Amino acid sequence: MGQQGCRVLRAVGLTKAYGEIEALRGVDLEVDAGSVVALLGRNGAGKTTMLSIIAGLLVPDAGSVEVNGIDVWADRATAASQIGIAPQETGIYRVLTVRENLEFFGEIAGLSRRDKRRRADDVAEQLGLTDLLSRSATTLSGGEARRLHTGCALVHAPPLLLLDEATVGADVATRNQLIDAVREMANEGAAVIYTTHYLPEVEALEADIVIIDDGKLLARGSRADLVSRYFAAGVELEFSIDVDLRSVDALVEMAPVALGSRRWQLQGECDIVDIGRRLGAHASALLAVEASRPDLERVFLEITGRSLEGEA
Amino acid sequence: MNGFLAISRLQLRIIRRDPVFLVVMFGMPLILMPLMKETIALSLNASGYPDATGAEQLVPGQTVLFGFMVAGSAAFAIFREHGWRTWDRLRASPASPRQMLAGFAAPWVLIHLFFQFVMLGAGGVFFDLRLNGGSPAALLLTVVSFAACVVAIVILAAATFRTVNQVQALVNLGAMVFGGLGGALVPVEQLPGWAEAVAPISPQYWAMDAHRAIFLESGGVADVVGPCGILLSIAVVAGGLASLRFRADETKEFFA
Repeated sequence: MGQQGCRVLRAVGLTKAYGEIEALRGVDLEVDAGSVVALLGRNGAGKTTMLSIIAGLLVPDAGSVEVNGIDVWADRATAASQIGIAPQETGIYRVLTVRENLEFFGEIAGLSRRDKRRRADDVAEQLGLTDLLSRSATTLSGGEARRLHTGCALVHAPPLLLLDEATVGADVATRNQLIDAVREMANEGAAVIYTTHYLPEVEALEADIVIIDDGKLLARGSRADLVSRYFAAGVELEFSIDVDLRSVDALVEMAPVALGSRRWQLQGECDIVDIGRRLGAHASALLAVEASRPDLERVFLEITGRSLEGEA
Repeated sequence: MNGFLAISRLQLRIIRRDPVFLVVMFGMPLILMPLMKETIALSLNASGYPDATGAEQLVPGQTVLFGFMVAGSAAFAIFREHGWRTWDRLRASPASPRQMLAGFAAPWVLIHLFFQFVMLGAGGVFFDLRLNGGSPAALLLTVVSFAACVVAIVILAAATFRTVNQVQALVNLGAMVFGGLGGALVPVEQLPGWAEAVAPISPQYWAMDAHRAIFLESGGVADVVGPCGILLSIAVVAGGLASLRFRADETKEFFA
């Protein structure tokens, strides 16, 4: 793995369109050894496209990707040995045992017979799969299969680890184990890119957060950094019926943003009596008012103008 | 090279874990052979081979017929990776697309050779198949040429087609129609005139031509060089086209 702080990934000007849809629009991203970058965005924001390009699975329309100084397209095999990717959908060999799965992905990445065995043991321990090593993958639960799926990307100890929605469908225990494993990989010097739209995970990872929306990187920084830069004071309102506050003239200056059909956010320092007066007829449906919390959800909303709530 | 070897070993391991298809492929011809032996013997006796037991046509015929289906598994193995969502993981590995293709093809050439030897061996043990002066070297050349030819054809199909149903259609067509045309069911000279005329378009025709030379005419290597040369030429052309046509990033549809 890389020396802490060394640049592992350098992606410049990544652009990709699927017909009329621009999935990525000139995205730059640099990631250093020992750091975890959480790529945060809604479904369709461009996260998976970006990971696929970095992994060499997708050719960009423009831009370049270097991993440890190796051009992903000019020297495909060498670059591939530096990358471990766990795609979004679970991809394991169900007819093989857990050990056989781990060892196969080690072998195809170039590990010797002895190393692949040793690394399979290490990764199994890291992900709580040791007792399952000789079990057929057919018999694994969803969470166990997900851990094996991720383990297959870790087994050759790649300097760059790409995890696409690693915890989708995982139980809490699996989620925690995966997050611990990611942290451990980073501590050992790997550069990790972790796509998600699940905010508690991003906070648990203590990752550098990159917010992506509509194929563009909009902001990057630590949680504290982003909150200090983008969090705006305001209140959140909850209604008993569906309402649309954008149509209320008296609220225009408070920039209402929908957090859901019955939940809205208003910007600025607000007085409850003043809000009630401005709501007019909608005031009778108001159930609760609370001050906006300085969290990532609000930061994301502030930066993209859209909520992550309801994403799956 | 690592990628090629790793994928080849993976294929063999998967087959060991789930051998049902192969067991059926090995079992079916052995069940069918005794049902057809007397009829084939009479047919050969009437065609100028009075001492023939029927095994000389029957065993190679069934081997060639089912051999195409066995080879079809090489294509299914590629599509199966798409169904298992492991294809992109292979693509993201250091294995090049050609190493991947070769990694899927090579084990099936070996399995195909094993299948043919088991069939011919069982023919010797259970159905009185004898070389009758035919050359073992010629038989080896025939078996190797046929395995290379049919595996290359199905790999070309896998590289060309987008859905597993299309491949399955080709395998069925290749096994039954081209097998029948090629003389795997009954000798070519007993086919209708039009079928006899088009029979040489079938790879199985050339395999059966070589087998007949060995088992019925006591042929040597020189007698099978022609048909085996054609089989190997088909293998080279199909393999080359597959290599050119194959795009690892193409989406393939496995069974829904």
